[in-house]
Amino acid sequence: MAGGTPRIALVLDATGAAAERHARALGGFLRDGLRLSPEHPADAVTHLFYAEESARERLLALAPTRPVRLVRAPPHRPDLMAAALAAFAAGGGADLFVFGGPLGAELAARLAARSGGGVLTGVLDAVAAAGALSCRRHVSSHHLIGRFELRARPWCVTLDADWLDVGFEPPAEHAVQTSAELHEDDFSAPRLCDDVEVLEPPATSDLEAAQFLVVAGRGAAGRAGVERIAAAADRMGAAFGVTRPVVMNAWAAPDRQIGVSGTRTAPAVCIVAGASGAPAFLWGVERAGFIVAVETDEHSAIASEADAVVLDDAVAVLEALADIVAREHP
Amino acid sequence: MTALRIAVGFKVTPDYEALRPADWARAATGHSAHGEAVRYVRRVFNVFDEAALELALRLRDARAERGLETSLVAFSVAGREADPFLVTLQALGYEGARVEPDADLDFAPAATAELVAAATRRLGGEVLLLGSRCGPGDTGLVPFLAAEALGRPNLPGVTAVEPAADRLRVTFSAGDRALRATITPPCVLAVGNALVSMLRVPTLKDRLAVRDSVITTLTPEDLGVDVPAALSREPSALVGLETIDRSRAGVVVGGATPGEEARALYEEHLRARLERI
Repeated sequence: MAGGTPRIALVLDATGAAAERHARALGGFLRDGLRLSPEHPADAVTHLFYAEESARERLLALAPTRPVRLVRAPPHRPDLMAAALAAFAAGGGADLFVFGGPLGAELAARLAARSGGGVLTGVLDAVAAAGALSCRRHVSSHHLIGRFELRARPWCVTLDADWLDVGFEPPAEHAVQTSAELHEDDFSAPRLCDDVEVLEPPATSDLEAAQFLVVAGRGAAGRAGVERIAAAADRMGAAFGVTRPVVMNAWAAPDRQIGVSGTRTAPAVCIVAGASGAPAFLWGVERAGFIVAVETDEHSAIASEADAVVLDDAVAVLEALADIVAREHP
Repeated sequence: MTALRIAVGFKVTPDYEALRPADWARAATGHSAHGEAVRYVRRVFNVFDEAALELALRLRDARAERGLETSLVAFSVAGREADPFLVTLQALGYEGARVEPDADLDFAPAATAELVAAATRRLGGEVLLLGSRCGPGDTGLVPFLAAEALGRPNLPGVTAVEPAADRLRVTFSAGDRALRATITPPCVLAVGNALVSMLRVPTLKDRLAVRDSVITTLTPEDLGVDVPAALSREPSALVGLETIDRSRAGVVVGGATPGEEARALYEEHLRARLERI
């Protein structure tokens, strides 16, 4: 921590999917989510891991800092990437590592374990001082926010999913400090995965982009009820999602799940039908402009977390509403 | 790899949905208050652990159809509240073990991972299945830290595991992408949003068959783990808790029938909003 300025390494795993969103998250966090105490400009460099040489220039342009350390790595080898980062950390490379990308959490955990540093995932914001990194994150299934301190350096953190939606423009030019390549047999680590097949992504894009969303919960009381709510949503031209209990009961496909374990949405109007309002679910709809809850229990959490509440059977109300909306908005 | 031993680490957690806002306000007054506030709530399997337990049973069954032998052991780092769950698992064909912690391990992923790794070494298990995250910490760090302590690779977000000759074919997610790969144990598999997420229910006959079975109880000392020392090395320390205010207006829509309520909801709240979409 030269002269009191923490050296920051943004680690972007661009060997997998969604590199652009993760790059924006890292840049947005560095700009808005991290406070240095005492305040001074951040001394930051991006470690950019990529797999395909043909994608190098495109991915380099995403790097959120001007200085970049490029590392080409075989796909699906977090063990090699963690070993390379541990070697960098052992040389006093950085005080704070902020990880983004599909392998971010594993890299953070393994680097902290190997270097004796601190680690925390899902960070909302952080203050870096000389003695510790203070961070906030959701705990207890999103019911509470916990404040944590990381003392041992390097501090290794990953970001809350909220950061994936921030706007951030990367620098127009980048300065490549180093360029390295990892090989399958580096660090004597055995390869775990063979015959890797990339599967078709689940069809959740309609949920992410939906402006009008209907979500069915356990109160639908069975597969038939869920299907009737789905049909009502379809008649109203709304996208259709479900809560985790509905998926666990196999009343709907997992790719319809809304919440921490599923899709996060931001519709203008969201109707939550028969769900109690568990925070892990609510996280998936809390950015909605207007939330309607249809629920029989007036004391359920969703009753106070919605803008409007209908205290009645979810299926009956949704079907009646579908008749009206289909007629008024053909 | 004709015979395979699978260990599944699980946790029983308070049913957070049973708690009211006042309980959470009390829980937020401190670390020990958090434990007190949730102590008397009924316990349930952590949802990701429950999926891991069922995935292992299905893998055992699929391997048996191919004439491959599989043994299962389930263990929990927990107090006696885990025992009824272990009895259920024994009835389903698991060996059951409990690691009795001598300290509060809420918000202590590194110490938990150290015990999980040590239990896996003691109990055996070329494949260690764990839920991808668990409350109250919800960090998702335990599978990675356990893999690191065991010197094993890890796959995150596992949703399915099938036999593939004498290896395993695993479906998992890395960020937004779903992948399927063939793997050779030893390894750690962190189970995410599996298609199979509910544990099967044992029959009465299954339960009677294991009524005299013993749950193996291990202490950290048995496993060679110094928990206070592990806690002193925790990579983060909880220093405070805050409640989250998610309240909105909660205007109750009137009406004597679902049809009347739907009409009132539409006229008073939805018509203008839907016209703008």
